[in-house]
Amino acid sequence: MSTIIVQAVVSGIVTGCIYALVALSLVIIFKTTDVVNFGGGEFVMVGSFLALFALVYLGVGYALALLLAAVAMFALGVTFDAVTMNRIGGRLYTRQTELVPTIVATIGLSYLLKGIVRVVPYTEEPRRIPPLFNAPPIFVGDVVIQAQDVVIVVATTLIMIGLWAFFRFTMAGRALRAISQNARAACLSGMPVRTLRMVVWGLSAGIAAVAGVLFAPKLLITPDSGTLVMFAFAAAIVGGFTSLPGCVVGGIVLGVTQNLVGVLIAPQAISVTPFFIIMVVLLLRPQGLFGDAIALKKV
Amino acid sequence: MLKLSTIDAGYGPVQALEGVSLEVAADQIVCLLGANGAGKTTTLNCISGMVPVSRGRIEFDGVDITNVRAERIVAEGVVQVPEGREIFPQMSVEDNLLLGGWLQRRKPNWRGALDRVYALFPRLSERAQQHAGTLSGGEQQMLMIGRALMARPRLMLFDEPSLGLSPVLVEQLFAIITRIHADGMPVLLVEQNARMALEVSAYGYILENGEIVHQGPAAALANDPQIQEAYLGG
Repeated sequence: MSTIIVQAVVSGIVTGCIYALVALSLVIIFKTTDVVNFGGGEFVMVGSFLALFALVYLGVGYALALLLAAVAMFALGVTFDAVTMNRIGGRLYTRQTELVPTIVATIGLSYLLKGIVRVVPYTEEPRRIPPLFNAPPIFVGDVVIQAQDVVIVVATTLIMIGLWAFFRFTMAGRALRAISQNARAACLSGMPVRTLRMVVWGLSAGIAAVAGVLFAPKLLITPDSGTLVMFAFAAAIVGGFTSLPGCVVGGIVLGVTQNLVGVLIAPQAISVTPFFIIMVVLLLRPQGLFGDAIALKKV
Repeated sequence: MLKLSTIDAGYGPVQALEGVSLEVAADQIVCLLGANGAGKTTTLNCISGMVPVSRGRIEFDGVDITNVRAERIVAEGVVQVPEGREIFPQMSVEDNLLLGGWLQRRKPNWRGALDRVYALFPRLSERAQQHAGTLSGGEQQMLMIGRALMARPRLMLFDEPSLGLSPVLVEQLFAIITRIHADGMPVLLVEQNARMALEVSAYGYILENGEIVHQGPAAALANDPQIQEAYLGG
């Protein structure tokens, strides 16, 4: 019994890392532009298909496919911001007062990407991407750890630390924090608000692609695999929706709880777990585990 | 140095400015006075590229800056100190200042500008590592002026800097503006406190419903009985 529980925790941490990556990609956009990106799941899905196409049609190695997918998704993120969000946001670049249009735009993004992928040949059947290393699994006692699991945990940790350092120590990262706190003042201080926001959209899409490619060996990919975003939203909410470490902790809490619920209660309860966790967090600590105290925004 | 020629601006169907022309010479403090909603802030925001100009032309130092992106205008040297508490509240005072110098960040010795700001506002250097949101209203106003100075401006725009400050702080604030001007900085000052503004200015404009209705040397405006009654409380 205890082995089963340890195994559940270990694989929960791995799944949690994927939720965390997608949550990071949502949170960096929300942090800097106040937009909740409902197309975030489709960034993940398109990213994994792009890597799959690179593997199959270009015959490149896994690492290069991952890189190509991330770069292509970066470009897609930048383009989406430039042609859609930038126009909705208006000339003042103030906090997005256009709440409904931005939400509709990201939902539109989600449907658009799903629709495009569906008409592309080769996507009608669920597909699988081989893992990065074909190394044999590692046994710790009776607990099995796949090589891919290690890759996922290491990649998530590196991306989180990288993003955290970017926001904390670089001038561009500081400027992005400044934009999130007061876009008007940032604009008047000469920061290129539009360009920096485009970079964030690019980063977000790139991270989503990495999540998609890393997770694809463990799960089949279909045009609908973007629904994974629900778990990322749950992870982000648990973490406070503005905190980068919060995403990782939230993702892992969610992944582990799901697995424990599956083992100890019933597998059917797994899919309601994220929503239950969201409810508990919102009831007990509405700002999330790492979120800033809730302050009313000046209208 | 700064020249607005018959500019119009509006928000949707609402016409906020109509044919506004004004000029700031290289060594002047010029004030723009008027009641609430007269279009003073809109005028500054047109200059700063925050509100689109529908007609007319804005020129700075011979360069056309009409409807140019806000960051380009800052790069040209026209820097606004906005109204209210427009700071980055959850960042340190020092980070707020450094970000004001965003466009200067690759220039040699841009951190040297920080020392000059601290010399002008010793209070800010005492609180360098504190979150800007914890500063008092007066200190936040100083921080915004310091942040604008970090951008190495060649012309400063002030929007209602005295708003919400105690009389003692207002005196200090005007002393600082005069001091910055004495170092060779032209200033366009938007104020509700017309008496103080006219005292430090060389020239003044009065805006009413989006149009310039009076203009002249500040001393002449201050002595005009009509203006005294309307703007200086009789």
